Parts: sequence; C-alpha cells; structure tokens
Amino acid sequence: MSVTLIVLIVITLILVLMYNSLIAKKNQVENIFASVDTVLKKRYDLIPNLVASVSKYMEHEKSLLEEVTKLRAEATKPNLSDAHKIALDAKITSTLGSIMVAVEAYPELKANENVMHLQHTLHEVEEQISAARRAYNQAVTDYNNAIEMVPTNFMASLMNYRKKQVFEIVDSERKNVDVKELFN
Amino acid sequence: MKSVSFLTDFYYKTLFPALEKLESDRKSLKHRIIFIAITYTAIFAIIAYTLGNFYEFIIFAYIALGGILYKFLVHDYTNEFKISVIKPLIHAIDYTLLYSSKTHVSEYFFEHSQLFDKPDKLSGNDYVKGNIDGINIQFSDIHAEKKNQNSKGRDTWSTIFQGLFIIADFNKHFNGETIVLPDTAQKGFGDVIGHWIQSNNMARDELVKMDDPAFEKEFVVYSTNQIEARYILSHSLMKKLLDFKHKSKQSVYISFIGTHIFMAISYDKDLFEPSVFRSLLDYQVAMEYVKTLHLAISIVEELKLNQKLWSKR
Repeated sequence: MSVTLIVLIVITLILVLMYNSLIAKKNQVENIFASVDTVLKKRYDLIPNLVASVSKYMEHEKSLLEEVTKLRAEATKPNLSDAHKIALDAKITSTLGSIMVAVEAYPELKANENVMHLQHTLHEVEEQISAARRAYNQAVTDYNNAIEMVPTNFMASLMNYRKKQVFEIVDSERKNVDVKELFN
Repeated sequence: MKSVSFLTDFYYKTLFPALEKLESDRKSLKHRIIFIAITYTAIFAIIAYTLGNFYEFIIFAYIALGGILYKFLVHDYTNEFKISVIKPLIHAIDYTLLYSSKTHVSEYFFEHSQLFDKPDKLSGNDYVKGNIDGINIQFSDIHAEKKNQNSKGRDTWSTIFQGLFIIADFNKHFNGETIVLPDTAQKGFGDVIGHWIQSNNMARDELVKMDDPAFEKEFVVYSTNQIEARYILSHSLMKKLLDFKHKSKQSVYISFIGTHIFMAISYDKDLFEPSVFRSLLDYQVAMEYVKTLHLAISIVEELKLNQKLWSKR
C-alpha cells in the first residue's frame, strides 16, 4: 500500500516537474520574442527617416527604397504571426544592407551628417537586434529540444506544443564589424 | 601599441647598463643569502640539539623567521629592480602610464567585479594606471585571501585569487551585469551534468548559453539579462576573448559591470618580482616580465575597446 503511494507521488512529482519545465521554456521564448519585437520596432522607426534623407540623391535605387518602405508597412501591421515577423525581418535586413552599400557610391550622402548619424544609429540597433535574435534562437533551441527529446516529448505532444522557427543568422553578422569602414 | 619584440629589444639594449649593475648586485646578494642561510640553519640545528625537545616549535620558528629574514635581505634589491627595470619597461609601452610598486587596485573594484567572494585580506603591488587610445585602464598584481578556521580553532588563510587584475572602460553601454567564468563544471562532469550544475548555481544570475561552441567549452556565462549578455558578447568579442585566453595560457575571469570590463588572470605567484637565483639576462625571465605587461596593456587593442559604438560616442 505505502509502496504504491510512494510510487504514485514520485510519478506525479516527475510529471509536474516536466510540465513546469515545458511551460517555463515556452514562456522564455515568448518573453524574449517580446524583446526582439521591441528592438525590431526601433529599426522600423528609423526607416522612414532614412528613406527621406537619401531619396533625394538615390535616383537609381528608387526600387530598393520603395521595397523597404513596403516591407516596413507590412511589418508594422498588427496581429502578425511570429513566423511571419521572422521572415519579414530577414527581408528588411537584406534590403537595408543593400541600401547601405548603395550609400557608399554617393559622396554627398557620405558627407551628410544626418545620414551619418542614421547610419550609426542603425548600426547600433542592428547590434541590439543581433543580440536579441541570438537570445531568441537559444530559447527556441531549448524549447525545441525539450519537445523532441525523451521523456518531455510525450508531455509536449499531449500539451500540443509545436516546434518553433529560429531566426537565420545572416552571414555578414558573423563577420567582424570594421568600424573604420563606417567612418570612411 | 609596441610589440613584444620591440620590448624585448628595449629590455636587452636600453636597459642593459641597469641590468648589468643589478646583475652584479644579484650575484653578491645570492652569495650573501647562501652564507646567511647556512649560518642560520646551523644555529637552529645547534639550538635543537642542545634542547633535545620542542622540535615542532623550532621548525615553526625556523620557517617563520627565515621568511622574514629573506624578505629583509631582498628588499633593497627588489626595489632597485622595480625602479630600474619594471618602471622603464612600462614607460616604454606608453610614457603616460603611471606606475607604483607598492599599491594595488582598490578593494572596491575587486569586490565590485563580482568575480570572487569577498576577501578577508587583499594585498598586491605593481599598480599601473593610465589612458590608452582614450580608454582608461588600470591593473595590478593582486592576492585575495579568505580566513578559515581549522578543526583546532586556529586561523588559516586560503587563496581566493592570485594574479593580474585589470579594469578598463568598456565600449558598449549596458545596464545589467554579465559574468564570464572558466568552465570547470562542463569540463569535469561532461556537457549534460555540467550544464545542469551551472544552471542551478544559486550564487550566480541566470545561465546564458552562448552560440559559439569553442567559447562555450572554455567559459560559462551568467547574466541578469539574456539579451544584454549577447549584446556585450558579440561573435567577434567571444573570439577575441578566446584568443586572449589562449595567449595568456591561464585561467581568465571576466565581468561586465557598470561601464567597465574587469579581467582577472590567474597566476600562482607574485608577478613582476625579481628572482635572486635566476639571472636577469636569462631570456625566459625577461620574456616573462615583458609578456605579462604586454598582455595586460594590450587588452585595449586586442578587444578593440577603443572602437566605440554610437551610444558611447
């Protein structure tokens, strides 16, 4: 009798611990995504400013500027799914990258203080986004591991937890940032 | 920043007259110490022989008095060495650096770094302070000890940390606290158990798993903020810290608190001290002084602390 009781208690305890650890992992992902969202918004706020300052000079890159404006409008819509936000972020990152490269070809822009300031702020925000993204990826990896690994996977499938998507780290971020280049 | 080979040249060429004089001082000091040691030992042996008892006490007195006597004998030589070798060497790296052979990094900074437990006794010497490329840096030799009581109720001292302690301005702005320690748990117990031990470390903040496997293997990171920890420890900084660790070949402790980066590099001896029994012209002896100094001062350049981000400009 008492043995069955002890076994039952131990099993319940294990189940509770498993359940709680899964919840904690899911919440960690959500928490960090909220921070990711905040820094992404910071960058969205910079985009109109940037477009306004460079559009006068950049005749040949009109399509790039239009694209980034369009992407921003889409990204700031309410009720987007996390996966959609992640996809949009990747597109915005690459488009902004192309614009920054294009800026290099315009000496007037490089000399413009406003553009310089924007470029630095953008760079700073990119660093923050990169950090937030890496934190998010780690949280998602922990979460995904838990829902795929024995024994938590049984509990996870009962709770109807699905695998989550990670941000893909852009290759250029792995490279050393050369600040000198930013000043030249 | 001057290279190690420049400093080695400086040591052997510019400092040569001073070294020659010190070297002859050292030789006569060595002979004097050997002579005194023999006499001293003989006196104690005679005392022990005549008393025929209290051996424990005699051995204790022999060691304690011997230590004091030795320190007294080498005192002048040590001073002379620091003024005519270590100081010019530091000024050769950067002539604006201040050097004091007697003081050390303040206890406030040592505790503020949160790298180690609060010490009961903090000693040290060879304090260097200055500004390199707009970055404030200071470091010194540090020996932090903790008082314990053994089973007999006698006080014993155990070392918390001994080595080089460096403080410098950090080039990013942050609010939380991030601490990077050598990874002993994962090395000793493997990945799974090691991780479990680390994540349950009550004395520390949240465990941060880093996405650089080589870095993660050498270090463990604790922080008050998961995102900020990664903001500070960018991929490039992780790589640089790893390179720094490999270059120093010692255990390295790092923390990011307030506006500073704190680094503690563990050595199991007092640094920048002359050895009476080894020649000053010995290449290995010279390289040790040069390399350790270079290592400490080079962090500004190695970690690119002088490249400030927008928020800090």
